[in-house]
Amino acid sequence: MNNPFFKEIADNIEMAAKAHNYSVIATSADFDVAKQQNQIKDFIVKKVSAIVLCPADSKAIGPAIREANAAGIPVFTADIASLDPQAKVVAHVATNNLEGGRMAADAMVEALGGKGNVAILDHPEVESVLLRTKGFEERLAELNKKPGNDVKVVAKLAGGGDKAKSFKVMQDIIQSHPDLNGVFAINDPSALGARAALENAGKAAQVKIIGFDGQPEGKKAIKDGKIYADPIQFPDKIGSKVVELIFQYLDGNEVAKQTLIQTALYRQADGAKDASLK
Amino acid sequence: MALPSLSSQPPTGSTGQLDGEGKPTLPRKQRSGSNVFKRLASDYGMVFALLLLGAFFSWQTWAPQQPVGTGAGEQVANLVRKSFPKGSRVLVAARGIPEDHAFATAAERTLKANGYEIAEVVRGAPIDARHALQRAIDGKQKVDVIAANSASAGWVIFQNLGTKFPALGNVLVVSPTTYHWPNFLKTDNLLNIANQIAVIAIIAIGMTMVIITGGIDLSVGSLIALSAVVATLFITKAAGAEAASAFGMTWCCLGGIAMCAALGFFSGVMITLFSIPPFIVTLAMMLVGSGLAYLFSQGQSIYQMPESFVWLGRGTAFAGIPNSVVLMLVLYLIAHIVMSNMSLGRYIYAVGGNREAARLSGVPVVAVLLIVYTLSGALAGLGGVVTASQLKSGSPNYGQMYELYVIAAVVVGGTSLAGGEGKIFGTLIGALIIATIQNGMNLTGVESYTQKVVLGLVILGAVLFDRLKHRGLFRFRRKA
Repeated sequence: MNNPFFKEIADNIEMAAKAHNYSVIATSADFDVAKQQNQIKDFIVKKVSAIVLCPADSKAIGPAIREANAAGIPVFTADIASLDPQAKVVAHVATNNLEGGRMAADAMVEALGGKGNVAILDHPEVESVLLRTKGFEERLAELNKKPGNDVKVVAKLAGGGDKAKSFKVMQDIIQSHPDLNGVFAINDPSALGARAALENAGKAAQVKIIGFDGQPEGKKAIKDGKIYADPIQFPDKIGSKVVELIFQYLDGNEVAKQTLIQTALYRQADGAKDASLK
Repeated sequence: MALPSLSSQPPTGSTGQLDGEGKPTLPRKQRSGSNVFKRLASDYGMVFALLLLGAFFSWQTWAPQQPVGTGAGEQVANLVRKSFPKGSRVLVAARGIPEDHAFATAAERTLKANGYEIAEVVRGAPIDARHALQRAIDGKQKVDVIAANSASAGWVIFQNLGTKFPALGNVLVVSPTTYHWPNFLKTDNLLNIANQIAVIAIIAIGMTMVIITGGIDLSVGSLIALSAVVATLFITKAAGAEAASAFGMTWCCLGGIAMCAALGFFSGVMITLFSIPPFIVTLAMMLVGSGLAYLFSQGQSIYQMPESFVWLGRGTAFAGIPNSVVLMLVLYLIAHIVMSNMSLGRYIYAVGGNREAARLSGVPVVAVLLIVYTLSGALAGLGGVVTASQLKSGSPNYGQMYELYVIAAVVVGGTSLAGGEGKIFGTLIGALIIATIQNGMNLTGVESYTQKVVLGLVILGAVLFDRLKHRGLFRFRRKA
């Protein structure tokens, strides 16, 4: 589990399940669907009571889920949904990414005082990120209708969701848009990569960054004033919610097909109060 | 000995190494009279390691197993008969899958035949059990016992029934008694291992040949993705997507394989004609292959496949063995025959043993290398098709890092990276060792960071073991 986000989901699933006297086997597919499929097959052999998945690929994971269906094992998804219509998933728990994107737009307008040119560091291969940028652009359009507001998206480039690539892409954006005022980076690694590029170019004060996630490194950067704000996700809530749903299901109750966990805006003042950063 | 010439180049007899009768000799020629058993015996060390691993994981995964199906149904009915008088009302609870249908049917039949009343037979999810219990309460009927199988007995709904349904009184849940058997040794799991390694093992055939010639092919991982993308793209665009026929799909898959074979051939040309080191050429092709896969698919997975597309990767046409495993075994058999009984095999060893000597003794070195790299590309393409079939979709991010697992399988199987020696069946054993370790660690719940460390050390250990074994062997040969 290279991403601390998934690790936190898994840790919280483990903690919540332990309270019910269930044990948890957590594995990482390292974003390789074939590997994930093998892991699911191994789970089926072990006859687990339920499987929680963060699909490595929303479409290609279908056959593996169907195999679990055929073995009578209930499947739950967290963070990333399965898009295979024939694969039966009991319930899906994820961040409300659309709302999160909208919060990011609020924060951006707030940071720029209503006026400026912004860039988006995108990662369109991922469904949840598409929702974030969609929410951002929608809300920005709404806010721009207010008199005096004028925040323009001047560039939208793929930062790969990682630091190294976002660093390079941000450097290129500064070259073509020297008058940039803000960046919306779709996750913390992209935001931090962008920050590094801006510091390098001596533009860190001119360009405000809005990230996404609220990973420890991102929160620390917000506290230090390097990122203006993040709509933060709550992987701990995702993890404990999934377990709650599993036990609701096994206890013979109706289970909501989809549960969205709201994000919250996290600014410098929140960072100063945050005990986890001390 | 007549050398069937693969190129038009005649043996350069005048300067080559010739034996007494003027016949060209091949360096490190294969021992004659080889058969499967001898070959396996010479790989004794690796087979032994595999068995040892199997024994270790069997011991580690020794776990209670639950009887399933008809047997479990009869057993649970007999358990009910022991503790409850005739006429008791029994609720039978099972999931809605075929295995559980057999259980529920058998339990119902046996109980009825022995004079028990069946309150209801639940075939579904926990919620259906809750509804059934509620119906019994609503109908003012009692339930004395719940006959469950091991899966449904674990449903939370059946815990603390007294507090959840006070009207029912004290209901007991009876489930079949467990027996012990290693999870690792279950038929399903052993087939899993074979199925999980099929792709890597198939590609490792080509890689073994490449490495025996003293080369390397780093492009195979990317070619998996390329072939998967090309084959699935053809199916969606040209063969009618979800309505594609088996015939159409076969041609599309062959297209994907041909594309990879062509890239392999191109690598071969670069390596032979321009003497660029294989490492560099195939590194470049790794980028080209991956880039093409992303280009063709525009970074998206292609999933509009007919249901029948999974036949190759997941179907079982022969004695319950997955088709991909059958394909793997057939390919190994063919490769074994090629490498031990055909001149192409001897040439491959000769080229790797000493390229110059091989050339001088009339081995068509260029043709051999071209064939080997083309074959490696084609097998990687086949691996991509199998992957696409297993996942019922094509995606440019398949096969990342697979080249390393393939090389690891070859090396663990005893093939020397220096070229000139190695065995096809050794590679199969090597692939199985890697799969067994991965599967065993998954079954014993070793987390993934540790798994990588262990796998790395195993590869190192296998090579070390092989080195030591070889030293001993060489000394022995010299004495003889």
